[in-house]
Amino acid sequence: MRPGILKIAATLLTLGSTAASAVFVTSHLKNATAPLQPPVLTSTSTLGGTVVVGPSVQPTSQDPITSTYAS
Amino acid sequence: MRPESTVVAHDFLAMGTSCCLFAVDRPVSRLRAGELWVRRLAARLTRFSADSELSRLNAAAGEWMPISADFEAALRAALRASEMSAGLVNAGVLPALLAAGYTRSLADGPPSAALMQGQPPARLPEVLDVGRRRARVRPGAGIDLGGIAKGWMADRLCELIGPNAVVNLGGDLRAVGGGPRGQGWPVRMGDVTLMLRGHGAATSSVRRRRWAGGHHLIDPRTGLPAETGLEEVSVVAAGGFEAEVVAKTALLLGPNLAPAYCAAHAMAWWLDGRHDG
Repeated sequence: MRPGILKIAATLLTLGSTAASAVFVTSHLKNATAPLQPPVLTSTSTLGGTVVVGPSVQPTSQDPITSTYAS
Repeated sequence: MRPESTVVAHDFLAMGTSCCLFAVDRPVSRLRAGELWVRRLAARLTRFSADSELSRLNAAAGEWMPISADFEAALRAALRASEMSAGLVNAGVLPALLAAGYTRSLADGPPSAALMQGQPPARLPEVLDVGRRRARVRPGAGIDLGGIAKGWMADRLCELIGPNAVVNLGGDLRAVGGGPRGQGWPVRMGDVTLMLRGHGAATSSVRRRRWAGGHHLIDPRTGLPAETGLEEVSVVAAGGFEAEVVAKTALLLGPNLAPAYCAAHAMAWWLDGRHDG
């Protein structure tokens, strides 16, 4: 096969990949309304302090077995 | 939800505070062995006994002293806490604690002295050298492991007890496994109850262990009992040791910086105190 044909094929492959990538990224735009931070539960507690609970910890209505309260 | 498993519990007093251990599918003898482990280690780490490794290290200031593997690990944890907190969690505050009047266990009665002028302690790596099975405290310095030891011990003891357990050493806590129902262990923090599973939690507070004119939490920037505007901080983090360091650091940072600091280092947090900075 002549080298020229290989060069043309490689060029076309490169241009084709570039075009396909451009189509893909423009059709999968980042959702501008997506939250940048995970949702958190924030509340001013009845005890007067502020509680913030991140998404990796779940609040529960179960009775606690123990407390972080220092003694 | 799976059927509730049987939880065994064991409470005891150690290190001047209340401790409780919980486990699923473990004999209570395992928890009693955990209590003995706490007492053995606490006897090495306390500054209130002249025979402890810590007291002997402080007394031998300026000289290298051979130490046990456990004590070496605890001292390395203190150095790590200093590094994690940019020096705010400083186990080298013992001279300031003594000057503030905290010279004996509070179980033996409240201190009476009140320190009016502080001397900021040097950063911990400047006064504590730890080598393989040996350590040295620089002359004039002193080490108090305090809550660092409790958080570190909670992590280690939880591993020893089993894969589904909670260790709470005076508020420094580690929870592993799914708890009795497989969803985690319900633990109170502030006025919410959280399911902890593979988490640690801790509270740093100046509302307890305080006396007329002072309290136990020294601000290493001033050498005086901390007055930052926050009085109590509880956090949930990856482990008990991390939680202890984050809680203490947040309390020392005060109400303006603590929320951002906790957002970067904690999974849940509770801040309480005067909000006037």
